[in-house]
Amino acid sequence: MAEMIELYHVWKQYQKPSWALSDITLHIKKGEFCFISGPSGSGKTTLLKTIFRELYPTHGQIIIAGKNILRIPGSRIYQLRRQMGIVFQDFRLIFHRRVFDNVGVPLQVAGLPRKDMRRRVFNALRMVNLHHKIWEFPSSLSYGEQQRVAIARAVVNNPRLILADEPTGNLDTELAHEIIGLFKEINRHGATVIICTHDKEIIRRFAERVVFLHSGKLIGKEAD
Amino acid sequence: MTIICLSFLIIGIFLSLSNNLQFLAQQLSKNLTVVFFLEKGLSAADTASVIQAIQSSPHVDHVLYVPPPEALQRFRKRFPQLQEVVSGLGLNPFPASVEAVLKDKTAESADILRFMDSMRRVKGVEDIQFNRDWVERMRSLSRLARAVGFFLGGILVLASFFIISNVIRLNVFARKNEIEILRLVGATNVFIRVPFLIEGVALGLLGSLFSLALIYGVIRVFPFYLGQSLGALQDIVNFRFLSIGQSLSLLAGGAVMGFLGSLSSLSRFLKI
Repeated sequence: MAEMIELYHVWKQYQKPSWALSDITLHIKKGEFCFISGPSGSGKTTLLKTIFRELYPTHGQIIIAGKNILRIPGSRIYQLRRQMGIVFQDFRLIFHRRVFDNVGVPLQVAGLPRKDMRRRVFNALRMVNLHHKIWEFPSSLSYGEQQRVAIARAVVNNPRLILADEPTGNLDTELAHEIIGLFKEINRHGATVIICTHDKEIIRRFAERVVFLHSGKLIGKEAD
Repeated sequence: MTIICLSFLIIGIFLSLSNNLQFLAQQLSKNLTVVFFLEKGLSAADTASVIQAIQSSPHVDHVLYVPPPEALQRFRKRFPQLQEVVSGLGLNPFPASVEAVLKDKTAESADILRFMDSMRRVKGVEDIQFNRDWVERMRSLSRLARAVGFFLGGILVLASFFIISNVIRLNVFARKNEIEILRLVGATNVFIRVPFLIEGVALGLLGSLFSLALIYGVIRVFPFYLGQSLGALQDIVNFRFLSIGQSLSLLAGGAVMGFLGSLSSLSRFLKI
C-alpha cells in the first residue's frame, strides 16, 4: 500500500532548550486508521499541526501523498488543506450560521455553487445521522451532535486524509464510542484517518495501529 | 460613519461655496465693465462730451448712461432692506454714471488702465470703477474656499481613515474564530480578505453618500434661514450644488478611503 504520510527526522522547538518533537520518523499508509497517543504535553497536537502545516518543523521533512509539504509557499497552503478534513476537540463551529452553512464551508471556499452544495451537505449530514437538523443553529445541538456536524464538515469534500485532535475530549464514553465509530465508517470509505487521543479505553476498543509519543519522542515499536 | 460623513460634508460645503464664487467670477467676467461716475450737477453738454469720449475708445463695445433716479431705483431693488436708510437721507445720494462694456475680455490690463487714466483727466469724471478687480477677488476667494475646504476636510478624512481601520480591526477580532475555520478548510487569503475590504468600501461610500444628501439639504435650506440676513453678502456667501464630476469624486473618495483604511487594517492585524 502506498504511503499517505511520511515524516523524516522531524524536530520542533518552540522555545530553547526543550523540544516539542524530537527526531520523529513515521510512515502512515493510505487508507490506514491510526491513533496517536500519549500523555498531555507529549507532542500529539504539535505533530498533527505540522502535518496540516499550521506549524513549520524546525528540522525534517514531511511528505503527504508524495508531495513535500514544507516546500509549499504560504499563499498556497489552502491547496493542501482542501485535501484534508480536520476535526478538533472544541468542534470549531460557526455559531451564528446554520448547520447547513457550517458543513458547507469547505465547499463554499472551493467555489462550489450553492445548489450543488445542498446535495453534498445533505449526504455528509446523513452519514453522521444529522440530516434532519440541517437548518438548525449549532447552539441548539448537543455536544455530541455538534461534534458530528464538525465531522460532516471534515468529510463533505471527500478528503483523502482526516485528522482529528482529541475529537472525543468533551464527550461521555457512549458518545465518544459513537464518534469513533463514525471515523471508522469514514475509514472504510477509503480515507486515511489519524486520531490524537489519550483515552486508553478508546484505544483499547478501536485500535488497529497506535503510535505512542512521550516528551516529543516516539516510543514503543514505532520508535524502532 | 458620522466622522466619514462629516469629513466629506466639510469638503463638499467648501466646494459648494467655491463653486458659487467661481460662478460669480464667470458672470462678472462675461461683461467686463468700467463704470465712470460723473460729477454732480454736470450739464447735459458736458455729460454728452464724457459719453462721447468714452465711446470713442477702441476698447469700448457700448455704453449705458445711468441717470441718478435710475441708480436710486436699482439700489432700492437690489437692497430692499436698506430703503429706509436712503429715504431718511431726504435726497438722492447716487451720482449719474456711464457704464462702458469692454469689447475684448482678454484685453491687457495695462491698455485698459491707460484708458482709465486718460479718462480721469476728462472734465466731469469724478471716479472710475473697474469690475475686473472683483473678478480677480472672486477667483481668489474661490481658490481660498476650496483650499480651506480641502485642508479641513483632509484632516477629517485622515481621521476617518483611522476610524475605518479600527472598525475593520475590531471586526477581524470579533470574527477571529470564523477566520481560523476558513483557513483550516482551505480558504484562500483573498476569500478571507474580500468581505472586509467590501465592508470598508461600503462604510466609506455610505458616509460620502450621506454627506452629499446633507450638502443638498444645506443648499436648499440656507437661503431661507440665513441667506436674507446676510444682505449684500448673500450673493457671495451662497452655495451652488456640486457638479456631477465633483459629486462622483466625493463618492469615489469615500470608497477609496474606506478601501485603504480596510486594507491597512488587514495588513497589520490579519495574519494569514
